[in-house]
Formats: sequence, structure tokens, C-alpha cells
Amino acid sequence: MAEIDYNALPDADFRAMVREFVETEYPQDMRFLSRRIRMDEARPWWNKLVKKGWIAPNWPRELGGMALDPGKMVIYLEEMERHGVMRAADQGITQVGPILMKYGTDAQKDYFLERTRTGDIIWAQGYSEPNAGSDLANLQTSAVIEGDEFVINGMKIWTSFAQESTHIYLLVRTDREAKKQKGISFLLIESDLPGITIRPIRNIAGHEEFCQVFFDNVRVPRDRLVGKLNEGWTVAKALLGHERLNIGSPRRPQYALMRLEMLARAKGLMDDAGFVDRFVAIKLDLEDLASLYGRYVEQVKRGEPLGPDVSQLKIWAMEVWQQLTDLLVETGAEDGVIEGAHDVAGVELDFLAPFYYARPGTIYGGSSEVQRNILSKYVLELPS
Amino acid sequence: MASEHAAMLKESVADFIARGMDIGRVRKLRGTPGEYDRAVWKQMADLGWLGIAVPEAYGGMGLGLAETAIVAEGLGRALAPEPYTACAVLAATILAEGDNEPLKADVLPRIAGGDLIPAVAWQEQAGATDGAHVALAATPFEGGYRLNGTKRYVVGAAGADAYIVAGKADSGLVLGYLDRNAAGVTQALEPLADGRHFGTLALDNALVPRERVIATGDAAAAALSRALDRARAVASAELYGVMSRALEMSVDYMKTRVQFGKPIGSFQALQHRAVNLYIQQQLASATLDDSLRVLDRDPEPRQRAAIASRLKARCSDAGVRIAREAIQIHGAIGFTDEYDAGLYLKRALVLAAWLGTATQHRRRYAALALQSED
Repeated sequence: MAEIDYNALPDADFRAMVREFVETEYPQDMRFLSRRIRMDEARPWWNKLVKKGWIAPNWPRELGGMALDPGKMVIYLEEMERHGVMRAADQGITQVGPILMKYGTDAQKDYFLERTRTGDIIWAQGYSEPNAGSDLANLQTSAVIEGDEFVINGMKIWTSFAQESTHIYLLVRTDREAKKQKGISFLLIESDLPGITIRPIRNIAGHEEFCQVFFDNVRVPRDRLVGKLNEGWTVAKALLGHERLNIGSPRRPQYALMRLEMLARAKGLMDDAGFVDRFVAIKLDLEDLASLYGRYVEQVKRGEPLGPDVSQLKIWAMEVWQQLTDLLVETGAEDGVIEGAHDVAGVELDFLAPFYYARPGTIYGGSSEVQRNILSKYVLELPS
Repeated sequence: MASEHAAMLKESVADFIARGMDIGRVRKLRGTPGEYDRAVWKQMADLGWLGIAVPEAYGGMGLGLAETAIVAEGLGRALAPEPYTACAVLAATILAEGDNEPLKADVLPRIAGGDLIPAVAWQEQAGATDGAHVALAATPFEGGYRLNGTKRYVVGAAGADAYIVAGKADSGLVLGYLDRNAAGVTQALEPLADGRHFGTLALDNALVPRERVIATGDAAAAALSRALDRARAVASAELYGVMSRALEMSVDYMKTRVQFGKPIGSFQALQHRAVNLYIQQQLASATLDDSLRVLDRDPEPRQRAAIASRLKARCSDAGVRIAREAIQIHGAIGFTDEYDAGLYLKRALVLAAWLGTATQHRRRYAALALQSED
């Protein structure tokens, strides 16, 4: 367990401490990957963080976390991003942990938290369903109470890395009569229960990143319910604001920009006024995104909650990221459509991986269209 | 800047605008050679706004760009025609940066007091961004310089009392101070989209006596370049005021205007359009805050120029886009002269064009920020 009170350190010292650790311990060849990382690849780094006591920066110390205050948390994440540390399947740490701490029973906390921290339990998120898309509350998978058990039937989709998860946290409908967002409950279940079938889906990049998960009379004990029956929506919604802040970080587009700039210099395009105009327009879109992001970071550092306006950050970050990778592929011309990393003008570059990687950014975590609906309704207060 | 200070200034600006800055006045003044109002200018002086950029030693407040920007944003929201950025910022900064102490002691307190309005005639070509590239001849003679040539795009010229003129001598740039009525100075006005005017100055052996020379050579170039970058930042704040008000008008209109039996703001196509404009306005706001913070720390000239360009590029684009789309959102009424949306578009157009367009500033930024990595 961590003995140091990190929050008592001056920011600069804390930053230096995190940086030093990441620089020496995080493998060079795993930095700034243009795809999501699989758990088996992430495992050695995960174990290092567990050993160091740093796997759960947001958890309290008695649960093996670092108990970082919002300001230190921002520094921790900034240093991870600076070195291109890829996010492992950390939903257990970022989502399930905080949810259990707030809504879980003592028994649930005792069983799940420590195993989640050490990585013995790996979570997949069972929220989305076919035909629901970003309309998350439109879910059909049902859980009917029979005696001491829930009996689950239905289907989840876009469940990232369900095939390598040990557990799924799941939104299910427990009251068909109630209005859309009522009547939903939050369950924690094992991924290998009888009646569960997991079918990976190959994405346009050729990776089996997400899955379809089928539930056919899957039985789980009633004590797997988190929070109150029919109030799962409240449980799931609690963390969405911070997700939009994380997704809105300028780091991933900044890395795409670095690659575009390398390519442009190698090809001598920095003398081409047409190219430079487009390049700088996007570069400034990104710099101004960093200013906007900085505002929200300051807000978090002051301990203020994030409002619905943070949706704009996700929209802009993802759109800038896509435009950058669009320009990268276009600038590559014929080279831009050759699969895999290859040599262009003396620079080793993969064009398509970042292009594919950026695609779903405007879809997951609530599509850009849905984020616009949120801004329209709650920030501009336009009528519905 | 102390935040209470900023809050007080904000309040005083909002108050002032609510009291006397109605758009009816703007409409009345537009297109006339009396394009701005000396009485209003004097009130602005009494509130201390005109002295914000003037050092304390010369009767000003010696505050930063952040404070200046608060005033400019308010004036932008109200579409005030007074040439605050051109005269109280650009001109005052050039004078303050110069090395002519007696001239400063004479002129700067009167600028801060609102009794003297100087306009800056630095430009000869449309789209110029570099103040050092001037052709107007400054020929030295025993008592000073003789100026011959033409200056264009002088903002605030219509009611100015004096001109700061940039000329070229063999020894380099010369910044001279000329009275409006000095011999050899002829002014013409060109009407602008927003109802104000650019001045064109024809200088025919106009004499700048030695005691009216603001600065020469490298000092002159440095003064002009710093003042231009600071004026770009303040013009960006003005654009931010224009775009913010234009967006508010559009969103308000969307809530009340009914078509097909519903408020038009309930249509998703329009909602998303409004959100896109909101994001542009928010980016402008965040960029403005960050840029002013850095500029007020007085960075070295190259960084200063890059930041000013980044800011002016964002605010010019966002300002014109929001004001342009405000017309579309309002429909036919937005295209009428009697409705204010058009006035916001026209002011945005003028501010976006002045001191460098978005594209020019992106190129300038490229030249400053990309070459360093070669």
C-alpha cells in the first residue's frame, strides 16, 4: 500500500516522479500505438503499476489507490499521455471501481475491488445494444427476477474486448412498464456463465476489438445488483462527464499531427502553400482545442463538477483528430493506402492505422450527433 | 490582473453599454463622416478606458491587454463605432513604445483623457501584415523628416486629431506624429461595410519636425510591430464580443420564431448548426483567454507574433462565420437592413479584414511556428 501522501507534494515534484517512472518503465515500442491495446499485451505494464501502487490513481489509499486530488490526477494523466502510454482495459479502475465505492454493497466491494485492482478481474462494458446506438436507454436485454436470481435474456453489442474479459458490467431492463430511463438496473456478472455466447466482430481496421454478447436464460444471484432495482441509469450516468474530458484530450490528435508533419517534411511539402494552408488550419484547430481542454482541466483541478458543456470538447477533439488522419492518408497519395507501416521518403509510417483508429471517435461514448443534442438542449436551451 | 478588478471593469462596461450604447445611435452615425461620437469618447475616457494601455507615468493606468480586452469585447457586443482598438490601443502603444519623452509627456495624457484622438497610418497595401514594409518616403532634413506618399486603410481617421505615420528613410523606419491640419496632409475617406470609413492620406512634403519624431530605425520597427500584435489581440476581443452577441441573437430567435407549428429551435438540423457556432465561439473564448495571459507576460517578439496570429485567425474566422450564419438562421428578416443581424455581420467583416485576415495570420503563424523546427 502506498505510504506517500502524493497530494502533499509540490506539483512539480509529483510530475517529475511520475515522469521518471514512466520514462524508465514503460516500453518504448508500446508508445503512441495507433490502435487499442489487448490485455495480454498490457499485462506486464499493469503488473508494474500494481506493484508500484499506481494502478488506481483515483481510488482511496485504503483500497490500494493513490487517492489523488483532481489537480494531481490531471498531472498523472498528462504524464501518461505525454509518453503515449496506451490505455489498457482499465474500465474496472475508472468505471466499476468508483461505481462500487458509491453504490456497491459491502460484500460487493470486498469481493470485486481488490481483484479489479490487481487485474485478476478484467471488465467489459455491457451497455450498447443492437438498434440502440447512442440512445443508450433504449435497451431491451431483460432481467427477470425468479426467486433469488435474475434471469437474463437478450443481446449486447460493441462490447470492447468481451472475449478477454472475466466479467461484464451490464445494464438490463427490469421493468418493461416504466418509462425509458426508469426500469433499468445495473448488474455485475461473470463472462463465462452458462447461456453467454461471445462473438467477436472484426472492425474495418481488421481487428477483433469489439464483440456481440448473447444472453440465453443466464442466471445470476440477486446480490449482483448494484444500487437499487430500476435505478441503474443513475448508476451508469454518474461518470459520463469525465469520459468526455478524457476523450477530449488533445494528445491523440497531437500525435497524429506529429506524424503528418514528419511526412510533410520528408516529402518537402512545407514549401507547398496549398498544403501548408491546410496543415496550419488543422494545427491551429488543435492548439485551440488545447486551450479549451485546459479550461476544463482547470475546472476539474478546482474540484468543480463538469457540466453538459463538456460535450463540446469531445465533438471538437474527435473531429480534429479525424481531419488530421484524413489529411495524413490524402498526403500519402498511393503510399497512403498501402497497409501497414512502410518507408516513405525515408520515414517509417503507418497511414491507415491512425485513420482507422480515429474513425469511431465520433461514434463511441455518445456520437457527435448525440453530443450536439446534449449541447443544444442543456447549454443553448433550445426547445425540443 | 486581480480578478475583482476585472469583475469591476466588466460591470462598468456592461453598465455603460446598457445605458447609452444602443444600436439606434450606431445606425444614425453610420455612413456619415461623424462616424463616431466625441461625447461618448469623452465618457469612455472618464471611465478610465482610454488610459488602460497608457503607462501610469503619462496619466494612464498602465494595465494589461486583459483589461483592454474587456472593454473591446463590450464595445464589440454593442457595435460601438468608436475606434477604441485603433486609437486607444494601437496609437497609444506606438507612442508609449517610442523614445521621445517630451512628445509622450505632451500627447499621452491627452489621449488618456479623451481630448486627443490619434489614428495610425502605417499601411499602404491591402493585406499588409508587416509594419516595417513601407514605401512612403521619409526624407531627412535638418529639422526632421519630409514625408511624401500615400497611406491607406487608416481606421478612425474620420474624426482623428492627429496621425502617426510610418515612413521609410535610408536609415530605416521613421514614425512621425502629424497634426490633422499640418501642411501637406490631405485626407480622403472610403466607406466601409460597417458604416465607418478608412482614411487615405496623401502626404505632399508634410514636415515632421524632430521633436515630433516618435522613433526611428530598429526602435521604430519594434514599437510598431509590438503595437500591431497587441492591437490584433484587442481586435480579436472585439470580434469575440461581436460573435457572442450574434450567437445570442440567433439562439434567442430560434426559441421564439415558430414555423411549421413549432419553434425553429426544435429542428435538429438548426440545433446542430447552432451548436457548431457555439463550439467556434467557445474555442475563440478559450484561445482569447490563453493568448492574453501569455501576451501580458511580454513574450519575445517571435512568440508574441505567433500568438497574436493564432488568436486573430481564430477570432476572424469564428466571428465572420457566426455572424454570417446568423443571417441564415434568421431567414429573410436577417437579410433586411432594419434587423441588427446584418450590422453584426458587417462589423465582423471589417474587423476580420483589418490587421490581417485569418488566412494571412495562419500563414504568418506557419512561418513563425514551423520554421523553428527546421
